Amino acid sequence: MTLFYLCIGGGLFVLGLHSLLLRPHWLRAIMAINIMGSGVFMVMVALARRGDTTDPVLHALVVTGLVIAVSATAFALRLASGLLERTKKPEGGA
Amino acid sequence: MTLALISLLTPLAMALLLLLSRSRSGWWVMGSSLVSLIAALGALHGVIQDGAQWMHLGGWDAPLAIRFRLMPVSALLLVFTALIHLLVSVYAERSRHSQTQRTDYWPLSSLLHASLAALWLSHDLFNWYITLELLGLVAVAMVTISGAKAYVPALRYLLLSLVASLFYLLGVVLLYGHYGVLDLALLADAAKADPTTRLALALMTLGLMLKAAFWPLHLWLPPAHASAPTAVSALLSALVVKGPLFILWLLWSELAPAELGQEAGPVIAVAGVLALIFGGWSALRAPYLKTLVAYSTVAQLGYAMMALGLLLHWQRPELHVALWLFVLAHGLAKVSMFLAAGEMQATLGSKSVGVLKGATQTMPIAMFAFAVAGGSLIGLPPSGGFLAKWVLLRPLLLEPAHWPWAAGVLIGTLMSAGYVFRVVVLSFDRAHPTRPDHRPDLFAQWLALLPALLVWGMALISDPLILWLTGGAP
Repeated sequence: MTLFYLCIGGGLFVLGLHSLLLRPHWLRAIMAINIMGSGVFMVMVALARRGDTTDPVLHALVVTGLVIAVSATAFALRLASGLLERTKKPEGGA
Repeated sequence: MTLALISLLTPLAMALLLLLSRSRSGWWVMGSSLVSLIAALGALHGVIQDGAQWMHLGGWDAPLAIRFRLMPVSALLLVFTALIHLLVSVYAERSRHSQTQRTDYWPLSSLLHASLAALWLSHDLFNWYITLELLGLVAVAMVTISGAKAYVPALRYLLLSLVASLFYLLGVVLLYGHYGVLDLALLADAAKADPTTRLALALMTLGLMLKAAFWPLHLWLPPAHASAPTAVSALLSALVVKGPLFILWLLWSELAPAELGQEAGPVIAVAGVLALIFGGWSALRAPYLKTLVAYSTVAQLGYAMMALGLLLHWQRPELHVALWLFVLAHGLAKVSMFLAAGEMQATLGSKSVGVLKGATQTMPIAMFAFAVAGGSLIGLPPSGGFLAKWVLLRPLLLEPAHWPWAAGVLIGTLMSAGYVFRVVVLSFDRAHPTRPDHRPDLFAQWLALLPALLVWGMALISDPLILWLTGGAP
């Protein structure tokens, strides 16, 4: 079962990377990075069950990683929305 | 170790204090970086006397412990970080053109200083992930200080930095799943050259190379560094790209089994030579002054990559010294170049390289600083750049089989001479000099000259410097 979730995690990572390499729009790029992140977190959670007991260290790492991912995403969204406001302005009413 | 912790905690406390009190005064930051510098000097003195020191955070024991390690290289880097932060802070507060007075630059630069100090002291894969993320987020926030026009390079920088961190994190997780520890020293004992370790190291290296803007993963660097305010460009080029380099160095020289290093070494070294050539070429053709300086960072990182790659390939300890001498010399020279470039483009009224026509007449001190720092990048004796290049070249010249690598260094030198002289020659064209928009700021120009003089002074303390760095080689 661990292997199954490991493969799903790896698959999500590759999927996100693939969509990022297509040079998408900013919003899609931010979402692609979040999907890559979910893939990594999935690998972490899957690896936590590699032995007979659950490894609490990896769970702690996932929580830390989630906090970072949320704040980084918020920052990226703020920058992207600032960019959007700026590109809209010169066009005026158009 | 206490002194090293003071050097880390002072800027951190200052950043929090500025954020909470909503004050944006530069004097406080200068004071805190001075305290940090003095503490770092004390830590350097201590570590040279007594050797490397360990600290267990929170009192936990291995393997659960998060450990800090103070070794000569990290102490030297603490001093270097505090010194550059102090210099750049004085510029950011005093120069009329810094665009950073009374902005968020102050808490952010303190936070940058603290995260770098934590990076130099950490000895744990996951701790490095945290410091890398901190460094990346703070650096991006600092790029945006120059306003909405920097949002595109800043966002691109942020996204690439996040992707790079995820690559690094995936590698860390694979290693943890395989060996069950995160501490570098424990991993180094356990590591074997099996497929999982290979994959994990490849992922981490890819992520770190992207963060350190190693060729061919450098494309985000020139726009991000060139669009930031001058003080920020100086910090980014001199300090931020060196963080991932430090981790990469420790990963490969301590954790990776020797046979993996021997395989990966030539690849990294060849990428270094290509960085020297293509980075130099782009700098030669760059239309804007700051872009030129930023591309020169890409090129100069090529030397560090060469030193790292050849170090792994031949396992020669003197190349550790070459690598860190390059980092120190490049950092000082680059601060000088960015400050001089920023002053000149603000006073002469244009960002393009052509504006420097006759700058030896209109802004002699800034131009002198640029040329002197350029001399160190080229590697003219007796500058710090020469010292580093000499240590790198010595093992290359001894054996005829290594001469192709020496040719790589030579091409790199020619390229750097090319882009430095492109600017210097233009500045001596005094027939129709560009008139300054207003009276040049003398103090800021002298400030730009100071790190350039320091890098030339590195030759004077070359003996102890090499000795300290040798003591730090694992």
